[in-house]
Amino acid sequence: MIVKDYCLYCGECAGICPSNAIDVQELTVVINDEKCVKCGLCVQACPLNALELE
Amino acid sequence: MDITTDILVIGAGPAGSLAARYAASNDVDVLLIDKKSEIGSPKRCAEGVSLSGLEKVGIVTDKRWVAREVPGVRLVSPDQTSVWLNTDTIELPELGYILERKVFDKHMAMDAARAGAKIMIRTRATSLKRDGDKVIVTAEQLGKEFTITAKIVIAADGPESRVARWAGLDCNTPFNEMESCAQFEMAGLNMENNNCIQIYFGSVAPGGYAWIFPKGEDIANVGLGVLKNRAEKTAYEYLLDFVAQCPETKNAQPVELNIGGDPVGGLIKERAGDNILVVGDAGGFVNPITGGGINNALESGMYAGQVAAKAIKENNYSADYLKEYVKITDEQYGKTFKNYIKAKDYLLSIEDDEEFNKLAHAFNEADIDEVNPKNLIKILLKVSPKALLKLGKLF
Repeated sequence: MIVKDYCLYCGECAGICPSNAIDVQELTVVINDEKCVKCGLCVQACPLNALELE
Repeated sequence: MDITTDILVIGAGPAGSLAARYAASNDVDVLLIDKKSEIGSPKRCAEGVSLSGLEKVGIVTDKRWVAREVPGVRLVSPDQTSVWLNTDTIELPELGYILERKVFDKHMAMDAARAGAKIMIRTRATSLKRDGDKVIVTAEQLGKEFTITAKIVIAADGPESRVARWAGLDCNTPFNEMESCAQFEMAGLNMENNNCIQIYFGSVAPGGYAWIFPKGEDIANVGLGVLKNRAEKTAYEYLLDFVAQCPETKNAQPVELNIGGDPVGGLIKERAGDNILVVGDAGGFVNPITGGGINNALESGMYAGQVAAKAIKENNYSADYLKEYVKITDEQYGKTFKNYIKAKDYLLSIEDDEEFNKLAHAFNEADIDEVNPKNLIKILLKVSPKALLKLGKLF
């Protein structure tokens, strides 16, 4: 998963992630690649299109 | 610097701070932590709150956090037909004040501190595990790792709610129940009535609505929420289009951008477990139809703080004891939220802009002196008898 530089760390992706793979910190997003199942819901949910599947 | 406390509250939004305040005022040790360096910033919210809701949780109004009083609401259909309502004629949720959340949230945390809670900011919980009848949370503050051992954890960490998930509670928000929101705070608006909040329905915001919440003569939060299973583009792109076409905002300029998810699916079932209570957005305390959450969050925080303090005094932190909090919040919100969800399902069943227009016209043509369920039914009957079936036993 690629997190674009313009992410505003709102956490919506973490809220809907069915695998609990996303940790949104104050100015960082950490995605756990082992948990991520690449379902792409976070990509669709992002209000800014700041996520991209690799 | 490992820490031991009775109650650990994670997240210093309105729910967390009020939980900390109510727990601490019952003479138990409370630690409130927040991952951010500034409590209340950035806001993820349109800032509407009801006065009666604040009074219910013992908050005394301070002018420093009230941006504006708004006694009315204007509902706008896609053809720009307006339906005006005000608090004299109808009980309207989340209506009363538009807050300055950055100031309000800090004041709520300050009140928690005055009640005796300790606060640590820029302090992030990184994991949680149970140890006997306690919980050990690992935390990180400016590069230093340490543990916090607590008897009860109150999860107030917003819609992403990682803490409750670590504790094994099921609180993920389904994709179709998360409103994706974007908002500008803007200046230079030309509002027809800047003492009313405005709600715009229809294709401007599929699955949600667009709003204008005035914060000053020409200042307002202008935003919208969309359901992403119905939307064709991002919330931000819908916002740009709305601002450009709305007569009130097309000459306004943004000074702040806020985004975020708003969980509108109703209360999560597992709001309590062994050693844990879940409050605010994390617990689904969001009005399913308006998406408003401050009043409900505050109330959930108050109940959680009270129940947690009582549990500490009685030395019982089991899920069985803490479910009193679930019972109280069910009584307060269970039925109301179910009705709101029915009303929301009705709104979501309106498929085109024309039906919204018809509803607004019928509303204005109906000679009603009061907005009440009986009158609403009369209007719905006129527009669409089917709608009444959809609403079922709402009233």
